[in-house]
Amino acid sequence: MDRYVGEPVTGSASDGRAAAPERELRDRVRESRRVERGAFDMPFFLLTLLILTIGVIMVLSASFARAYYYGGNATYFFVRQLGFALFGVVLMLVASHVTPAFMRSVSLPFLLFTWVLLFMVLIVGTGGEEVGANRWLDLGFVQFQPSELAKIAEILFFATLICTYKDKMKTFKYGVLPFGIVIGITVLLLYFEPHLSASVIIIALGAIMMWAGGTRWQYFAVGGAAVGAVGYLVVTKMAYASARITAWLDPWSDPLDSGLQTIQSLYAIGSGGLLGLGLGQGRQKYMYLPEEHNDFIFSIVCEELGFVGAMLILVLFALLIIRGYWLAVHARDRFGALVITGITSLLAIQVILNVAVVTNLVPCTGISLPFFSYGGTALLLQLAEMGIVLSVSREIPLRRSKSDGGEK
Amino acid sequence: MAKSKGASGQRTNKTILGRTLVLALVCGVVAFSVLAVRLYKLMITDHDFYEEHAVSQQTRTVSVAASRGTIYDVNGNTLAKSSTAYTVFISPYEIKYYHEKEYKSNEIHYNDEPTLIARELSRILGVDYDWIMKLTERTDSWYERVATKIDGDLADQVRQFKADNKIVGVHIEEDSKRYYPYGSLACHVVGFVGTDNYGLEGIEALYDSSLEGTNGSIVRLVANNGTEMLFENYQNYNDAIDGCDMTLTLDYEIQSVIEKYLQDAIKANYILNGGCCIVMNVKTGEILGLANANAYDLNSPWDLAEEVKEQIAQVEDEKERDNAQTQALYDQWRNRAISDTYEPGSVFKIITMSIGLEEGVLHENDSFYCGGSIPAGNIPGRTTDLNCWELSGHGNQNLREAAMHSCNVAFTNMALKIGAKTYYDYVDAFGLFDYTDIDLSGEGGSQWWTREDFENPLDKSSLAATGFGQTFAVTPIQMITAVAAAVNGGYLMQPYIVKEMRGADGEVVYSKEPTVVRQVISEETSALVASILESVVGDPGGTGSNAYVPGYRVGGKTGTTTKTPIEAAEHRKEYMVSFCGIAPCDDPEIAVLLVLDNPDQTSGIYVSGGGMAAPYVGKIMGEILPYLGIQPNYSPEEEAYLDVTVPRLVGKDLVTARETLNSLGLSFREVGEGSTVTSQLPVTGAQVAAGSQIILYLSDVPQEEPVTVPLLYGMTVNEARNTLQNLGLFLDTSGASPAIRGVKVQAQAIPEGETVPYGAVINVTLVDTSNLSSDVLA
Repeated sequence: MDRYVGEPVTGSASDGRAAAPERELRDRVRESRRVERGAFDMPFFLLTLLILTIGVIMVLSASFARAYYYGGNATYFFVRQLGFALFGVVLMLVASHVTPAFMRSVSLPFLLFTWVLLFMVLIVGTGGEEVGANRWLDLGFVQFQPSELAKIAEILFFATLICTYKDKMKTFKYGVLPFGIVIGITVLLLYFEPHLSASVIIIALGAIMMWAGGTRWQYFAVGGAAVGAVGYLVVTKMAYASARITAWLDPWSDPLDSGLQTIQSLYAIGSGGLLGLGLGQGRQKYMYLPEEHNDFIFSIVCEELGFVGAMLILVLFALLIIRGYWLAVHARDRFGALVITGITSLLAIQVILNVAVVTNLVPCTGISLPFFSYGGTALLLQLAEMGIVLSVSREIPLRRSKSDGGEK
Repeated sequence: MAKSKGASGQRTNKTILGRTLVLALVCGVVAFSVLAVRLYKLMITDHDFYEEHAVSQQTRTVSVAASRGTIYDVNGNTLAKSSTAYTVFISPYEIKYYHEKEYKSNEIHYNDEPTLIARELSRILGVDYDWIMKLTERTDSWYERVATKIDGDLADQVRQFKADNKIVGVHIEEDSKRYYPYGSLACHVVGFVGTDNYGLEGIEALYDSSLEGTNGSIVRLVANNGTEMLFENYQNYNDAIDGCDMTLTLDYEIQSVIEKYLQDAIKANYILNGGCCIVMNVKTGEILGLANANAYDLNSPWDLAEEVKEQIAQVEDEKERDNAQTQALYDQWRNRAISDTYEPGSVFKIITMSIGLEEGVLHENDSFYCGGSIPAGNIPGRTTDLNCWELSGHGNQNLREAAMHSCNVAFTNMALKIGAKTYYDYVDAFGLFDYTDIDLSGEGGSQWWTREDFENPLDKSSLAATGFGQTFAVTPIQMITAVAAAVNGGYLMQPYIVKEMRGADGEVVYSKEPTVVRQVISEETSALVASILESVVGDPGGTGSNAYVPGYRVGGKTGTTTKTPIEAAEHRKEYMVSFCGIAPCDDPEIAVLLVLDNPDQTSGIYVSGGGMAAPYVGKIMGEILPYLGIQPNYSPEEEAYLDVTVPRLVGKDLVTARETLNSLGLSFREVGEGSTVTSQLPVTGAQVAAGSQIILYLSDVPQEEPVTVPLLYGMTVNEARNTLQNLGLFLDTSGASPAIRGVKVQAQAIPEGETVPYGAVINVTLVDTSNLSSDVLA
């Protein structure tokens, strides 16, 4: 009945009986191996593919102008993105076969590994010239941001923690402190890059995991107040941050520098109108809008596909996210549920923040749009994350009872 | 245990379930709803605002300059036309901006770019390097002109430079350049444009709005690096509407003739302050030619004549020098023929007699006695005796003779007889109080006595002086218009110079018909006036005889005035000499007014309109009357004195050659032995004076030395011909007819002392010195 994998043996330690941990562990592993894994969730898979397809096409549309003018090869970005997308789909399918039990077993080493990588970034990282921060690790054939890995590591490890402390989550010692330490260390490492947007996501994601894991809501009130206070101090006391706020509230106060991206983004979005200028027909990508195939690709979507097209894409994202939460709710065990909740929330945060940035709802910060923004390793990781969701979805009992009902 | 564990797990599950659903609601629905609302506001509500701003930054509007209309003379010769030129400008903002934003990671550094641009533009366009560098420093500017009105090939070189170096921020825009094929011809009529192609003077200024047309525009999408977008899906054309083409009444041939003779007259008579000449069709008021001595090249209207520049350079004070410069330019551009006023002097006697004859106060056969002066007491208000220019007096004369003599005493008496009121009314009727409304910019107004002063019964001095054209001032255009009215049947015509305008599509949008302002005198009176004017030129003893043109019935009136204001203020005399001619007198077609300002009195040439201006009006008439298709009708006497065109004799046998020359009234001299003419001097087609001796070579042509031209001034025709003949040169005459007794050489086309080939033809201007009148109060 209660078949959650990896429940801590709370009783055995307290009553002092010889617990024979080896055996218990063996039993648990056996039990997990016994778990029957079926087909993954087809709606989630198809939605992902659909969004991915649209995203890759939009990379072509958004990038060809700059690629043409500055490299001579209009399809440069598109071809690379397409390659990563195909590889990413394979990776997603592979990930859908990695069992949650395995994930849980490697969650701590994985977190430590990402911390090492984040630390390495501070020493040998690249990217400083372009964004003023070192965020990439160059593996020779490919560059990637360890902060992306850190997000998955956080999800997996927090899910593990919550499952471990499930009954003590309402206490500060177990429900807040370990999480806070992990978040603190990660954010500290990110702070030195620096990488504000990743920090925001790590904090938000951690909070969501804790929220889903059962941490008392009072702590969120206190934490929220603390974050608010710190945020207020940062905004008012730090010139750099307050300049961003000014550019947010009134982009036209500095239309050629700090307000440039926002203004150009709004021009792109606003000139889309109801039906847009047509796929490929946008004009803002002709070097008016910076980052048009990266963080601001959604502006091009709006310009070319109009309100109707943009809403359609947002609806697809919303459906994917809701389907994700649906899978979480129906997951076979708590760990799976929490992992899906984390990954889905990560997706939701990125989509919502990205669109909020390009529409100037929130101050400008570099958050890419999943499946749309150009970037190979980020796309691979996103698809791998989707694979993880699919993997968990294979164990959903409801599904199995439907398809394998006759066997029982 | 297991149960409690299970219950706890279930509670936890419930919490997780609930909280996950909250997350699903927030992240899947609420947040997206907010985004949807935001998108709706941006894309639907504020769509127009953003689209407008986006389009304005994505499009470049290129102005398409309307082609300025062409100005033609009456025969379609182009006087002014526009051709394509280019303006090169840089956008320092773009140069800086793009290098900061786009090339940040490249090897190109911003600092190299202005240097490269300045160096290359300086090389191609010949513009100062440092100046371009200075322009590139104005980094908030999008538009700094480097060069204007450059030719297409230079523009191509700049384009090439741009393409080769992928330069951002150097631009070329199309412009047009005004070109005046004939340079200074009719400069004061045509006028010119400024650098922005806005008409500044003359027709160009007055008809600017018709000529300029309406500029069009091309709106096209451009990428933010200045190149065009890959797929054009938004373009907007507004065609330029070209300006109207304009046909003037001005005739290139006539204009050339009057400009040439105006300069000749000024040179030959040592005229100090220039002059002007107008040719008008008296029947229509069309201006066929209008020239001022102060001509300038329309292609470089800001250049002053060398001597003026030197004068200005001598001015010490910088501010005064600038003022002098400005003043000199205004002087150069001023169309004196319509702007400046002068005292017309005896030319105005045409008006006096027209009034008297029309009113019946005067008759052709009335007798006017001239004893040389009118005592001051006979004219109320006059303080000194009124002297005739001929101090010994003209004796008894009828009206025609008085006009021929240009007798001041007679015309004073005529004016007094007419009476101030009538006289004043007619001056008004002849349009002399009003602008002529000629379609040229800068017309001046006349200066007259007030009616009250003029009609003052106690002071008739002004009326008396007005009778022979002094103590008031009119513009040359007013004068010739009034004379035209006096001889064309009595109709005051509105002078005009723009005949027709055609729109860009060739459709006539404006066509000027001759406009009769009013009839001033009757056709009979007018015919009589024309006849009297013919006598002034054609009859023996007429003061205008120098305007005589063989075969044509030329009439006219001389004018010589001292400038009253200068005489009053500075107690020295400065003269204005003029002649107004008409032809043909039986049915006048054209009037020619030549005004010369301030002949040098130290030159020794007798100052008079008849001697200085009339010969040139005669020359002008002699060229333009045949040109206008008016056939000459020579009297036998005239024919005997006509210049002869040398026939082709080479290759003919001697007998035939002799007969040919005899029949033409030419003598001949044979050189060498033989029966066939091997060569001749002058060459076939040359014009020589009647009775000239042609040289016929019958064998080898000897090598002849070049000849130095002698001084012919003051010689009679025969003297001049013989002098030249002895040197192996030939005579050709213009000006007064050699038929008139007493004509003398006044000027020669090739000055004394110059070397010419043996057998050259020297043209001389003949002047009848026997009847010269100074027309002026002695």
